[in-house]
Amino acid sequence: MSAAPKTPADHRARFAPWQISLLSVVSGLFVWQMISDYVIANPLFLASPYQVMKALLHLFETGELWRHVATSGVEFLAGYAIAAVIGICVGLLIATNSFAKNWLQPWISGFYATPTVALGPLFILWLGIGVWSKIVVVVLLVVFAVIINTEAGIRSTSERYLEMMRSFGATPTQLFFKVSLPSATPFILAGLKLGIGRGLIGVVVAELFGSRMGLGRLIGASADSFNMPELFAAVSILAASGIAMNSAFALLEARLVPWTKD
Amino acid sequence: MSKLVSKGLSKWFGDLHVLADVDLTVEDGEFVALVGPSGCGKTTFLRTVAGLEQTDEGAVFLSDKKIEGPGRDRGFVFQQDSLLPWRTVMENTVVGLELAGRLDPSEAQRVRQLLNLVGLGGFENYYPRQLSGGMRQRVNLARALAIDPKVLLMDEPFSALDAQTREIMQTELQRVWEEGRKTVLFVTHQIDEAVFLADRVLVFARRPGRILEDIRINLPRPRNIATKRGPEFVALVDRIWQLIEKDVRESVLVEKS
Repeated sequence: MSAAPKTPADHRARFAPWQISLLSVVSGLFVWQMISDYVIANPLFLASPYQVMKALLHLFETGELWRHVATSGVEFLAGYAIAAVIGICVGLLIATNSFAKNWLQPWISGFYATPTVALGPLFILWLGIGVWSKIVVVVLLVVFAVIINTEAGIRSTSERYLEMMRSFGATPTQLFFKVSLPSATPFILAGLKLGIGRGLIGVVVAELFGSRMGLGRLIGASADSFNMPELFAAVSILAASGIAMNSAFALLEARLVPWTKD
Repeated sequence: MSKLVSKGLSKWFGDLHVLADVDLTVEDGEFVALVGPSGCGKTTFLRTVAGLEQTDEGAVFLSDKKIEGPGRDRGFVFQQDSLLPWRTVMENTVVGLELAGRLDPSEAQRVRQLLNLVGLGGFENYYPRQLSGGMRQRVNLARALAIDPKVLLMDEPFSALDAQTREIMQTELQRVWEEGRKTVLFVTHQIDEAVFLADRVLVFARRPGRILEDIRINLPRPRNIATKRGPEFVALVDRIWQLIEKDVRESVLVEKS
């Protein structure tokens, strides 16, 4: 064949990646709307996107939405920040100190594999129904993912780079700051990214166990009163914040560790 | 005078006698190539001079000073370029100076000239992933030269390149070397590469690793592609090949079994 036929790739190239993603969301919403209009036309079981929009607007107008979002936001951000700092520090410590590694490893493995959200009621008992019990749950869910990734990052530093730097007379401190740490950065970011989803789950589940305010509390209350539009409204805010934070991380990765992408 | 002297150097890896009683003197400004079959200890010898391996017996002296570990009087050019992917060409090249705390504007200017010399002018701000294999090896070379070492230690630096790029890099290395005439120890398994570049070719033998023959190459410089077709060149390559042929065949059999 001499004439070049149009390949499927030519058609795909007409759309930017974000356009494809947007189209996917819009068609998903459309299918959802159709199903709730014609297949499961009972708002007790499935709220339509339109009803969810209305519920969102209502929550926004009464000012209720802001209070829930602010409470959950504070719990998530405080827990996440604490977990990030502790996680990176402990990860660096156990990667460089074998005594610390052997001392802490059983606890880290144990806690990472355990669904620590189940301990939520205990923390509410200890710390009360306010934000602190939720923050602790978020910390516990996020911190081990960060520790494990940070440690793996430092340990996976290429021996070739270390030897090259040694041949130029690098000291152990220089090796750490000029090779191990930059080489571990993609792993640390991956651990932090993993922590976003885990942290959001922590906030919601901990709030379900007992709280006065927050998106988890809103979900629980809506479910109890069979208010599906409100329940979906809360869930879609969580989903949107998850998507937003993941996209922010993608930008951060492109800036901080451009060599991992090509 | 930066004379490099190895006296009675011996080394074992467990039961394996990798280097047996290596005696060698390399004069200032000499280009010495080390060839031999795999497992003959040529790379181990180079790494020992770099201070990356310990000696079991004997010692290596540089300017009458015993080598105890890595030092900035020796610049190592690695087989795999080992460029740090998060650093630009410039940042990779100055790494030795930076580690020594010797990086200042005038040194940076000197490094920029060095990058020009190896043919990388204008690529200072590129990242390694944006460069071809040949260009990365130029950075590898410039990085070693940047610390202005007394001796340049090169460990099969062109072995990962394709045949055409390798030919070009050999000529380029010769050109760069003519500019400064540093002492060079160059490990390779390519006999023609050794003869093309070196003033002296040390032929290594296996089990135990030792210097079999020390051959002076008196081909006029600068050498070019035509040099490789000359009868003198071909005769030298042939002679070295005959010296190591038996060893190479044995080493191939060992690797297969």
